[in-house]
Amino acid sequence: MATVMKETLGLPIEKTLAYKLKQRDELYNESGCYWGIKELTLKNQDPIKFEQFFSRLQSAVFAAREKARYVAASPGGREMGESVWALATAEGDTLAMSLGFISHCAAFPVSVKHMIDNDFEENPGINDADVFGTDDPMTSGAPHPGDTYTLVPIAVEGEVVAWACSVNHIMEAGAPQAGSWPVFTVDTFMDGFVFPPMKTGENLRQAKWWDNLWMRRTRAGAMNILDDKMRLAGCSMIHGSIHEIIQEYGVEYYKQACKEIIEESRIMILDNMRASLIPGRYEGSSFRISMLKGQQKIWAHADRNEMVHVHAVFSQDEKGGIVFDTEGSSRWGYHGFNGYPGGSDVGLFLGITTTFAHSCKASAGVNMNVNSIYHKGSIYNPDTEFASCANIWAQSMQMQCLSSSAIHRNFFMRGYLEEAFAPEDSWDGVQGSGVLADGTPYGFTNFEWVGGGAMGAYPFKDGTPCTWAQHTQLCNVGNSEEFEYLIPPLHHLGRKLEPGYCGHGKYRGGVGQSSVHWMQETGQRLGVTRGGSATSMTSYLASGMNGGYPAPGVVTVTALNTNIPELIKADGDTPTTAGEVLEYAAEGKLTGEVTSWKYDPPEQSMGDNDLWANAAGASGGWGDPLEREISSVVEDIRIGQLPESFAKTMYGVVASKNKLGEVTLDQAATKHEQAALFASRKAESKPAVEWWKEQKAKVESHSIREELLEMYRSSTSFEGYNKHYRSFWQLDDDFEI
Amino acid sequence: MEVVDKGLLKQLVEGRIADDDVDEMRRMAKKDHQRFWTYLDILQEKVSWDNTILMRLNDHLYIVMRGNERIVKCDCGHEYGDYRVNWKLHTDIRTRDTQESMEKVYYPTAAAPDADWMEVREFFCPGCSAQLAVEIVPPGYPLTFEAFPDLDRFYREFMNKPLEDESPDWFKDKTADYLAAL
Repeated sequence: MATVMKETLGLPIEKTLAYKLKQRDELYNESGCYWGIKELTLKNQDPIKFEQFFSRLQSAVFAAREKARYVAASPGGREMGESVWALATAEGDTLAMSLGFISHCAAFPVSVKHMIDNDFEENPGINDADVFGTDDPMTSGAPHPGDTYTLVPIAVEGEVVAWACSVNHIMEAGAPQAGSWPVFTVDTFMDGFVFPPMKTGENLRQAKWWDNLWMRRTRAGAMNILDDKMRLAGCSMIHGSIHEIIQEYGVEYYKQACKEIIEESRIMILDNMRASLIPGRYEGSSFRISMLKGQQKIWAHADRNEMVHVHAVFSQDEKGGIVFDTEGSSRWGYHGFNGYPGGSDVGLFLGITTTFAHSCKASAGVNMNVNSIYHKGSIYNPDTEFASCANIWAQSMQMQCLSSSAIHRNFFMRGYLEEAFAPEDSWDGVQGSGVLADGTPYGFTNFEWVGGGAMGAYPFKDGTPCTWAQHTQLCNVGNSEEFEYLIPPLHHLGRKLEPGYCGHGKYRGGVGQSSVHWMQETGQRLGVTRGGSATSMTSYLASGMNGGYPAPGVVTVTALNTNIPELIKADGDTPTTAGEVLEYAAEGKLTGEVTSWKYDPPEQSMGDNDLWANAAGASGGWGDPLEREISSVVEDIRIGQLPESFAKTMYGVVASKNKLGEVTLDQAATKHEQAALFASRKAESKPAVEWWKEQKAKVESHSIREELLEMYRSSTSFEGYNKHYRSFWQLDDDFEI
Repeated sequence: MEVVDKGLLKQLVEGRIADDDVDEMRRMAKKDHQRFWTYLDILQEKVSWDNTILMRLNDHLYIVMRGNERIVKCDCGHEYGDYRVNWKLHTDIRTRDTQESMEKVYYPTAAAPDADWMEVREFFCPGCSAQLAVEIVPPGYPLTFEAFPDLDRFYREFMNKPLEDESPDWFKDKTADYLAAL
């Protein structure tokens, strides 16, 4: 066949990205195999060479991370797991990834497709060693503008054969509300510095104007520029390594082997799914409050409170791959809890990639085994181009935990108990901006309780504290000293586990952790907010595991105008957790204006000796709490992880702890208390049918607060969920919800 | 480790297993396919009734054969009826809808859900009062059908041992039918 030239590019058409993307999709749709590959020819011909080839690719991305991260100024990029480097095919499909944010493999093909669909090959051109950047949720697959991407094309004789990719979570995104996850965002114009895929440099060098943009459009310009250099440094290393590898193996081997790598992992991941899942229908939900009413008078359409509903059904397709349908989740709104499909997939893949790609090459093969359904008009697929996505991680991580919950239920049902746990992890970031005494403005985010949370309870033992992060294998909460150095007025008065703060059960979830930030030298101005997952108005997920309680949401406590200096002067005994702040205040020891927030507080203007305390990272319990071994409850009291008063109300265990830390169990009182708790179950419950009739009456009479009725109206505006809701309550079609 | 033997699996089921053994199980390159049968054996030995267990649903609940029916049954012996109806509709339900009652199950008090917006639902077995599930949802929220497995497909396609009474009807959610008849 004669070669058709694409004149403007000077390339045979089969070497253009547009052609490759079309071919990839057509061949996959025809065959169900990546690029129509039905046989792993290169692997079968010489498996050692094939594996050596892959190990070179994998080494290139590992090396990139391990060196480049030291260029960063932000702790998230450098020492925590808030970054990733990857190698992708010409179409953006991931071949190899470093440690870190591996679910972001879902975003790369979205960016590349956007560039192809918008004729970037012609203008501005996609050439070897160019530098592209993006953080736009709608066009690039970025979850939110805090996640910033760098993509470098790798081309041989003008033909793009690969992309070096990187992403990290920057410390400040330049929105009206400072930090990484603005909560008060009416639309995308309040998301901060949002940029669709664009060419920002050439020959592995960023343009000067690019640095100027970071300095002008964010509050942590210097730090964001260094993060940008970090991403590019790693991509440059990958770019160099891949050119060497291509020289050694030849470009044709390279291109074919890459296709086989992805097809091989697609097959292996599907096999892993079939080996551990049970086909069926698994339902889950969670909730996230957006409490914005009365916070401003400019945007009337955003002056409302909204309970965001996350609903999903997990099932399997005919091959055994995952189908994840989010129908019933709320319609998008004028708040930050929206996302577009690419970014939503980044959320969903958090649990799926790590669970099913553990024994094979973690490539884009995983993506092909998941059919995520985000209904048009919903929070995961707004039917507007202008929806805000600033805090998508709140409800997308809840959404992914619903998927993980279904997977872990499957592990339990199939007998793989060692893999099963209650997958919840409420996370929290403290963010804001200020002006130092010398007039220097700055913005910040403290990521610590994003970097690590507790594992949920297993069906055979308690969860462990601060050992898990949904988004990365690198659970790391960062150094206290470094956060204090980078965020001048925030000092840790306490940073430790919060006793009793978890979902309880026969096996309790890992206890969450708490910080008390003490404001000092606040200068001319300091404003603090939070961005993060569910607040304590709701639990993290709606359903606990098999009788255990789901993880609590994030606790936020503020204390203004406190007497901390007096406490330090007296005996140095100051509160070290959010719970203690409330206790000290209740006892009158801590004075000032103390507030416990069940929703995101509006920005708090803070001065010297004010406190911002939070508790996050709690996880869920498993099983009936009254089946918990009494000795385990006593041990929790002994190690300071369970207050005696709560041990009594939750577990019916009556015990006391002396000053030496010795715990004495009152066996008789415990027997009595547990019997009373057990008896209360019959006395205080009613048969489900009776319960259903009462609830139905409540639904039919609209005896539910208006914001929740609005939530139901939003969810039932989707046909399938409408049917589900009406059939459960047996409502007529013309009944107005 | 290539296969988890019955003794070790029993320790895992009963929560008596050593952490090192769990680690070894997690490091298995591939999960042992026959685990499901060993699991059913162990569970069947632990219950006092004779119905054949088809699948474990919950710490206490199983889908079992009763004649030509597939029903949900508690290990205490209480029967919940057709497994295609959300079993929560056959439980006893306690609702915590005051702040004080919610603070009895969450600590610190600031971590308890907001009773103005949410309610805690606890589901108990009518036979033995075991706490089988917890939901924290707004009032008016339908009960969540946590797990509705497609038994026929699993047994045939995933385990290569088809059930004798296969029928497309087994994987039809009958919850709405049950409610319509109330």
